[in-house]
Amino acid sequence: MTDPAELLRSGVPLAEHQVKDLLASFGIPVPPRILLPPGSGLPPGDLPFPYPVVLKVCDPTLLHKTEVGGVRLGISTRGDLERELAAMRTRFPHLTLMVEAQEPPGVEAIVGLIHDATFGPSLMVGLGGVFTEVYEDVAFRVVPIGEADARDMIAQLRGARLFDGFRGMKASREALVSILLGVSRLGQELGDRIEQMDLNPVIVYADRAVAVDAKLRPR
Amino acid sequence: MRGLDAFFSPRTVAVVGASRDPAKIGHLVLKYLLESDARVYPVNPSADEILGRPCYPDLASIPEEVDLAVLAVPAATTVQMVRQCVDKGVRAIIAQASGFGETGEEGRRLEQEIRSILAAAPPDRRPRLLGPNTLGVYVPRRRLDTTFTLRERSPRPGPGDIAFISQSGATAVCIMEAAATLGVGLSAFVGIGNKLDVDENELLDYFAQDPCTRAIALYLESFRDGRGFLERCRRITPHKPVVVLKTGRSATGARAAALHTGSLAGSDRVVEGALRQVGAFRAYDEEELVDLARALGHGRPLAGKRVAVLTTAGGLGVIATDLLESRDRGAGLELAPISEEGKARLRSVLVPFASVHNPIDLTANSSNGHYAASLEVLEAEPEVDAILCVMQFQSPFVDDGLAQIIIDWFHRGPKPMVVVTIGGELSQRGLRQVVQAGVPAYPSLWRAVRALAALYQRGQYLRRLHPLPPAADAAEPPEGRAAT
Repeated sequence: MTDPAELLRSGVPLAEHQVKDLLASFGIPVPPRILLPPGSGLPPGDLPFPYPVVLKVCDPTLLHKTEVGGVRLGISTRGDLERELAAMRTRFPHLTLMVEAQEPPGVEAIVGLIHDATFGPSLMVGLGGVFTEVYEDVAFRVVPIGEADARDMIAQLRGARLFDGFRGMKASREALVSILLGVSRLGQELGDRIEQMDLNPVIVYADRAVAVDAKLRPR
Repeated sequence: MRGLDAFFSPRTVAVVGASRDPAKIGHLVLKYLLESDARVYPVNPSADEILGRPCYPDLASIPEEVDLAVLAVPAATTVQMVRQCVDKGVRAIIAQASGFGETGEEGRRLEQEIRSILAAAPPDRRPRLLGPNTLGVYVPRRRLDTTFTLRERSPRPGPGDIAFISQSGATAVCIMEAAATLGVGLSAFVGIGNKLDVDENELLDYFAQDPCTRAIALYLESFRDGRGFLERCRRITPHKPVVVLKTGRSATGARAAALHTGSLAGSDRVVEGALRQVGAFRAYDEEELVDLARALGHGRPLAGKRVAVLTTAGGLGVIATDLLESRDRGAGLELAPISEEGKARLRSVLVPFASVHNPIDLTANSSNGHYAASLEVLEAEPEVDAILCVMQFQSPFVDDGLAQIIIDWFHRGPKPMVVVTIGGELSQRGLRQVVQAGVPAYPSLWRAVRALAALYQRGQYLRRLHPLPPAADAAEPPEGRAAT
């Protein structure tokens, strides 16, 4: 497997699974997955993770997969997966597909990286799930950040109370802090090659957080 | 003489373009500079003397070294004069003319010419240049003033300890005039204009080292080097507060918004977060810029968020309470509880119908003595982190001496204090008196509360940098605490 950081440095756009490899190499948790190169079917036997699963098309040119039918959520049996796989193969015969564990619902955050014209690589955290752009509940810092910065960013959000426990929901502030620090390290090393990166959503649970979707525009 | 000193404490100044015509910039600049301690040389080839000073036809004929040359000549002539400055070995140049990069292609070409002239000079004889398109500098304590607005129309601030760096000259004149009216003083003003050479970063470094400056206020329309600015702030803000009014918040950035992060970044949110990250304060208008610089430069950081309010009007106390405690249109601070002992002491010194609960209401029968006695009690209250003193002159038992009582407690008491005065000419006179004495005092409750909020934020920032052991819960250890 080619190192995704090397690909990025040489200016090659990354597909989702490559972005996630990159995230994992900076200690950012991503869901377990298997890759299905063009022409290949499901491996025999059980998947290495439980159902439900997600089926996604992986290609650097397809930044917005949902709009082109490149994402199937909530697949709960092997039979369903075989059927969805066959259907997606007809839509994208020459592309790599990915089967990924589907993470349960939780507090949805967004974590982003952007190359700011004035300050260079900068980091964002936000809350609100699909409504983030409506609520605009976000905070930015310039890369690199320290742990105190990460905590201050989260504290600055209007929805910060979610991390103190709300209506039985628990979300680990520590887990989100850890992801922010990971993205900061990534930005420090590779920020000059990244125009923008979205980890959206990052789902935060009581004891962990995971980057469920990741998009990257190289610079 | 090192670095930028030639701009702020020159021994000799040449005014190039000095004029006999009282309406000309070259006349005003000379006239005001003649009040400074520097030896001043008018330069004008077609005059023998101006304002009683012999004129020199060019820089070369000035009989001694020139620390600072103020170029009060048009853009095209400025370029030639920069060349003369290099030949003369001038240390610092203030290029006042507009008509440079801010106007278009021809202006940019002139700036490029100046850059080339400076670059061609040997490094040890290369002058530093402020501007072009700048009023220059104003250093009140040296009466060094190259700004050329009429003083009788536009009074200047007196000596003080706030350094004010501005990218716009005309805006700075208005801000300084308003500050002067309130009694606010400056350690220095400097207009950076088009920043051809000297920029905000270098000036931050300069004023960080300047012992006369306790806070740095900047009006900026752009950053010359954003990362460099942040690095400096990170270094400077732990020991000297920096307040920034950065304009262009709503300008739509030319940024690709294909992803969410881009569309959410807008043009301004990164600036917001970046300044907060390095402990710099952001002001949103011209009034807040000076208000916060004064609060942070003169006030002491709060160790906690509990505020005692001392007032003579119940309503003002209630408004202050709302502004202090509310999260919407408020500061998110708290009212301090007053101890039973404190309440008893207050009862013993105040009129029977005064309120000894926070907000403490001295009532319309307040006197100088009531203020003094109440402040003494509050300064000793264990759960009070700061005092908001509403200084009112309406009571017949209060006189001009009240301001001095408050000034004394501000400087001698252990608690951070912010003062507010609501009222007319008499009140404003008292307000000016406390402001001139270095007390963060304001003519409205909201401005005073905002100052307290900034001091609280600064306290939090400093505590984050220097965390204390959990037992010691105060910014400054209480006096007499035994070392363990």
